[in-house]
Amino acid sequence: MNKSVYIHYLSLVTPLGNTVEQHLEAFKTGTSGIRMTEHAGFQGTRLPLAKRTEITANRYDNLLREALENVHITLTGKTAVIVSSTKGNLDLLPGDTFSSTHAIINQFFPEAPVVIISNACISGVIAINTAADYLLSDTYDQVLVIGIDAVSEFVSYGFQSLFALSGEACKPFDKNRNGTTLGEGCGIVLVSNQKLHDHAVVYKGGSSSNDANHISGPSRTGEGLVRSIEKTFKRSGLNASDIDFISAHGTATVFNDEMESIAFGRTQLNEVPLNSMKGYFGHTLGAAGILETIMSIVSMEENLLFPNIGFSETGTSVPLNIIQKLESKELKTVLKTASGFGGGNASLILQKEG
Amino acid sequence: MKVLAHSYVCPKGVKLNGEPVFDTQAEENPLKSAYQQLGVEYPKFYKMDVLSKMAFIGTELLLPFFPAGTDLENDLSLIFANTSSSQHTDNLFVDSYEKLNNPSPSLFVYTLPNIVTGELCIRHKWYGENCFFIEEQFNPKNYAAWAQSGFSKGNALCLCGWVEAKTNGEQECFLFLLSPSDKTEHTIEIELSTLIKQYRNE
Repeated sequence: MNKSVYIHYLSLVTPLGNTVEQHLEAFKTGTSGIRMTEHAGFQGTRLPLAKRTEITANRYDNLLREALENVHITLTGKTAVIVSSTKGNLDLLPGDTFSSTHAIINQFFPEAPVVIISNACISGVIAINTAADYLLSDTYDQVLVIGIDAVSEFVSYGFQSLFALSGEACKPFDKNRNGTTLGEGCGIVLVSNQKLHDHAVVYKGGSSSNDANHISGPSRTGEGLVRSIEKTFKRSGLNASDIDFISAHGTATVFNDEMESIAFGRTQLNEVPLNSMKGYFGHTLGAAGILETIMSIVSMEENLLFPNIGFSETGTSVPLNIIQKLESKELKTVLKTASGFGGGNASLILQKEG
Repeated sequence: MKVLAHSYVCPKGVKLNGEPVFDTQAEENPLKSAYQQLGVEYPKFYKMDVLSKMAFIGTELLLPFFPAGTDLENDLSLIFANTSSSQHTDNLFVDSYEKLNNPSPSLFVYTLPNIVTGELCIRHKWYGENCFFIEEQFNPKNYAAWAQSGFSKGNALCLCGWVEAKTNGEQECFLFLLSPSDKTEHTIEIELSTLIKQYRNE
């Protein structure tokens, strides 16, 4: 890439707080946002959920508003907004689940065109990749990328029907993992051709790849994830030996984490320190890529590796270097990956400048 | 950029490059009828949602127009969009737990719009890039820009789709195959707006 693309975090709202400082504190102390929740599942069953308890109604719209209210930045130049969300506001069914998204963003950024990406759990990573494309083609000078999904009966019942939920807080990559835990949140980053402050990181490249295998199950061979990582290396001019930390997807389902371990093994990344943040946030679907990118940037700023909550014993056929305790490490280059329903896989690389 | 071929699937019938291929107007189940007339053996078709079924039929018809020599496995990108996301299936899934008291996993897996592109990738062994956008209306300018970005990153071909199933029953799937050429994005925009108007009889 001939031009520089910078990523800055602007806002982060989850059960762990509504400031980046609160999240840093939670990650340093290994505090999870997941709580056992009564009557959350089908027929009143209890479920562990990472739910922002401050919000009591209209969860999606209120999460979006709270995150936007925390953006304190004056935007100049050609600006667009990209929203990454799998489901939008499900309270609006049987009507248009994305109509409130447009209306709320227009209140905050009346001039900016709004583009919505809904590509399952890889939406957040491809939203950042798409924002970078807009900058590289000179279509826009900057793009606000918003990742959001709210906890809902709809999604909880659906994951229950697939037997994909854990009975206790999820345990990414652990031997005893047995499903994911759902969560909610909204994160906002600014992807810009200008560096606005010292904590911006450089976007080096990204890509996506489909498994071409199954609509709801991950590939046994990690094929799509391998191809995406290799394409991202090629586009960014980097390779496995450059990567200091991986923010993996790690949903804590048996098959997903196994697939990721195989893919990281095939790409010579199995010894790189790695975490899944699902133990903090739960699986926030369309928000996940953005929330996890924000905390990866915080990792880089602080030169800290955050522990993978829920992991105690290797449980994948290719052993990975799972981060188990808070550790200091100079972090220059970070790989973020995501995988999801529809066979999608995506990745991107962030780097400190200089 | 150049439009190599295009197809249109709706309950009335199926067209390829502007010409009628199957007339399904009188059929009780137009998509099933179109699938049978297609003469392709792919039993998975029957379990697909309406979005995937339409895109499946439209794509099969476009296959002869994919340029020989292109590495379709890696260099074909899929860019799809609609307004209503997967709401057609979303509402069926809500019915499964509210009315039938039995949340259906086979419906739930189709409550994401990008399952459409997933199904096409499985069918044709395409491992390239995919993205599904939610747009207020068919926007040719955006498709041209997204496809151009893909070409500048090394993708050789782009299968684009507008695949919509509204809760009011309106259904359509407009597919078009784009390849890089010297035609400008603006020319493509005009061509695409004309084509969709013709297909919709506007």
